[in-house]
This record gives sequence, C-alpha cells and structure tokens, in this order.
Amino acid sequence: MAQKTFVALILGAALALSGCKIVKTPAPGAATAASEQGEAGDDARIAALLDRTYETELLPLVAERALPVADLRAALAGGLETAGAAHGNKGSGEGAAWNFAVRGEGRVVEANLTSRARKAMLDTDGDGAPDLTLQLGPVIKGTSLRDVAPFYRFGDFRDQIEFAKLARALNDRASAALDVPEGDLTGRILRFSGTVDLKSATDAWLVTAVTLDILP
Amino acid sequence: MNLNRRHVVGGLAAVVAGILPTLSFAQGKGVIAIITPSHDNPFFKAEADGAAAKAAELGYEAMVLVHDDDANKQSQLFDTVIAAGVKAIILDNAGADASVAAVQKAKDAGIPSFLIDREITATGVAVSQIVSNNYQGAQLGAEEFVKLMGEAGEYAELIGKESDTNAGIRSKGYHDVIDQYPDMKMVAAQTANWSQTEAYTVMESMLQANPGIKGVISGNDTMAMGAWAALEAAGRTDVIVVGFDGSNDVRDSILKGGIKATVLQPAYAQAQMAVAQADAFITSGSTGVEEKQLMDCVLINADNAAQLETFALKG
Repeated sequence: MAQKTFVALILGAALALSGCKIVKTPAPGAATAASEQGEAGDDARIAALLDRTYETELLPLVAERALPVADLRAALAGGLETAGAAHGNKGSGEGAAWNFAVRGEGRVVEANLTSRARKAMLDTDGDGAPDLTLQLGPVIKGTSLRDVAPFYRFGDFRDQIEFAKLARALNDRASAALDVPEGDLTGRILRFSGTVDLKSATDAWLVTAVTLDILP
Repeated sequence: MNLNRRHVVGGLAAVVAGILPTLSFAQGKGVIAIITPSHDNPFFKAEADGAAAKAAELGYEAMVLVHDDDANKQSQLFDTVIAAGVKAIILDNAGADASVAAVQKAKDAGIPSFLIDREITATGVAVSQIVSNNYQGAQLGAEEFVKLMGEAGEYAELIGKESDTNAGIRSKGYHDVIDQYPDMKMVAAQTANWSQTEAYTVMESMLQANPGIKGVISGNDTMAMGAWAALEAAGRTDVIVVGFDGSNDVRDSILKGGIKATVLQPAYAQAQMAVAQADAFITSGSTGVEEKQLMDCVLINADNAAQLETFALKG
C-alpha cells in the first residue's frame, strides 16, 4: 500500500513536471526547444528577460552601486583597473570597457534636444565647463547599461546579435522612462543616475541616464 | 598544401606509443593549423600572418590553409589536419551552422579548436571563440554615418556576401542605429559580394537610379573602395562613404579626404590571442578564460586614421 502511494506520487510528480514543460517559459539565452531557438524568438526572449530583471535587478544595482560623480573621478585618479575592480563591471572580452554606475547633478551648459540622440552637457563641479554628457534618448549609444550588470553575460546568449538586442532593449526601456522637458535646458540643474563606460581613465564621460529630475 | 610528412608520422607515432605528443618532436611543440577564408582579402591574410607569427614565437610550426568560405572544403581541411595530428586548430570559419560538425570532428579526435572573428552556433565544441563584435562595430560605423549625414537624407547600402555570417550581422547593426532616424531614407540596398569591382558597377547603377544619394554605407572596405572609385568617376565626391574592416586602402583614402570612416576589427591581435590561448590549453589544459569572448571594434576616422597599420592601431 505504502509502495503504491509512493509510485502514485512519483507518477503525479512526473505528470506535474511534464505539465510544466508545456507551459514553460524558456530561459533567455539558454538552450531551448528548437522552435524557440534562433533569431525569430529573440524579441520575445529579450522582452521576458527584461521583465524579469530590469526593475528587480538592474535598476536596484544601479541605485546601489552608483557613485557620486566626484567619488568616481577620485577613484579613477588611482587608475581605471583599480577603480573598475572596486566599483565597476567589465564588459565581455578583450579590450572591453569598464562600466560604472554613477549619480550626480549638474548645470546644463549645452543641450541638443533636436537630435534623435538628445544630449545635455553638464557642469557637475561648478567650474562652468561641462564635464560629462548625459544621453537623453530616444537614440542611446553604447552598451553600458547592459555591461554594468554582472548577470548579463555574453556566454549565456546565442550570439552577438542576441546579446546586442539585449543592450538595445535596455537602452530603449531606460530612455522611454525619462521625462525630458521641451524647450531650452541651458542653465537648468539636472539630477541623474545612470551608467558610463570607460576604456581609459581619461575618456570623456557619456552617461546613459536611467533616472532624471529637473530641479526647480 | 604544405603538409609536412614528418609531423604526420610523428603524430601517429605519438598516438600509437601513447606518449606525450610534445615529446615526439625533435624540435618545437608541434603544428598548429591556421584555417581562414581566402587571403585575397587582406583582412584574412592579416589574421593568418598574426597567428603564424605567434605560433612561431611560441615554438610551433604553422600549417596555413584556406577554405574559401566553402563549408565542404573546410570539412576536408579538418580531415587533413586531424590526420596530420596537429596540436590545435585556429579557425575563421566557413559558416556559423555548417562549421559546428567540423569543429566537433576535431574535438572527437582530441584536437582543440580556437575560433577567431566569426562565431559558431554551438558552445562547448570549440575551446575558445574570440568573436569580432561586428554588431557593435557596425553600430559605431552607423553612428558616425548618421552624424556625418546630419541625421537626414537619402543613402544606399552595399551588402556583403550573403553566405558570410558577418554580412548579415553588419547590415543588422547598421540598421539598428540608422532606422532610429526617421529622416534617413534608404533608397537602394544591394549586395556587391565583398568585391571592389562589383561594388564599382553596383554603385554606378545605384547613382544613375538615385542621383539624390547623399551617403553610402558599405559592409566592408573593399566594396567601399569600389563605390568611392565610381563616385569619383561620376564627379560625386560629395557623397559620404563609410566602410568596415580598417584596411590600409581605406585609411589612405580617409587621410586624403575621400572615404569618411571605417571600423577596425583588430584581426592581427585577435589571431595572436587565439594562438596564445591554444598554447595555454596545450601546455596546461586550460585557457583560463571563458569560451566565448567578444572583441570590440574601433571607429576609424580622420582623427585616428594615421595610427592604423595592417589591421592594428598603434598606440
């Protein structure tokens, strides 16, 4: 009798498992059933990955790890490798950039809101000269939002196309969430958090903003 | 094909005797096979040269072969080098899907493969895949192209050989960026099969049909050179041309104010890296790095073109 129950349990478990299989949502980047593999399934997989990770992992990571601008500059003064190892994440592969989360505020010295790749150049140290460029979308350059996160790994994706689609989707998600006012921004104070990728300690900063506030 | 008989015999003897293969050679550490597409394209020649130089430096003999982007020929070459008992294979492959079987065949024979430039669609088969990030490179080229175009205007695209994975990847990378600019209008897109002469002809007819063209974005540098020659012949040197690869020809054109930009794939360095990883694997059983490694491309324009030489940027 006990044995029968046991067998029934096993059978039940097996049925339950096979039931799971039918409705399973494939792990993005991981090997999946043939019909879900390949480029055709990319958009759905990436969207699912974003749904699982953007709000719950990526934004908290940026919020937690973001260094104030001055602190990151100070860390970089000790060398990019040292600053990167302590505060950043390296993109995949040889020659990849170090990616940092950063936050701060600054006065807009110059802004281009007519381009599809809107930008504001900020003075964050009060010397009147711009010291970083904030990307305001809708076109965002680079992959720092993807590469700042250790949990997005190239090896987990089918190929460079799928991996690139992740970066693009992250950029789109971030820029869509920004509330960029119309009209001249020059002289306004912007408070932001975002990510920046650096290949040398002296690279100009091109920051992908994930949060943006215009201070009164 | 310069197959060295001594190594074949040596390799077989090592297998039969079951001794360490490295001991079976009177000199050096054995043979590394270097298989790439045709050297007609200087990019692949730079790869082969870089790998061969590194192999010699590390004490190996290099066996340099070309598969001409023919997966069948590649498969035969694998049979040959497996029979020759090479210590490792450095491969720029002839097709992302078609190459998996060949690389698996080598693995089954105990020969590790180290892929450069193009990736294959399976992992765990090759020891390393050092992938040129063509998508990222194409995005860089497209960003520069869009900027030069002032984010608006009619343009044409020259596409590479369809059978080559990178032709599609680059085109997708270009469009990922350009298509975000609604005022950029593609009026023509056609393959010129990576060929300079074909690009010349294609450009001529594109120009005839679309005299309003303001820019041309090309899947590689040889086609960019062909397009530029056609534009020059038509007196249309106002047209913005952007290429891909970072060849010395396009570098010279950029320095003369002709072609505006290209994207460098560090072919030479990448091939050397693959051989260094092969050596680490042969001597210690591990490369110490992950299988799949992306290698970024670098935008080349008038600012840095002078530093470019044979697919490498000089510091």
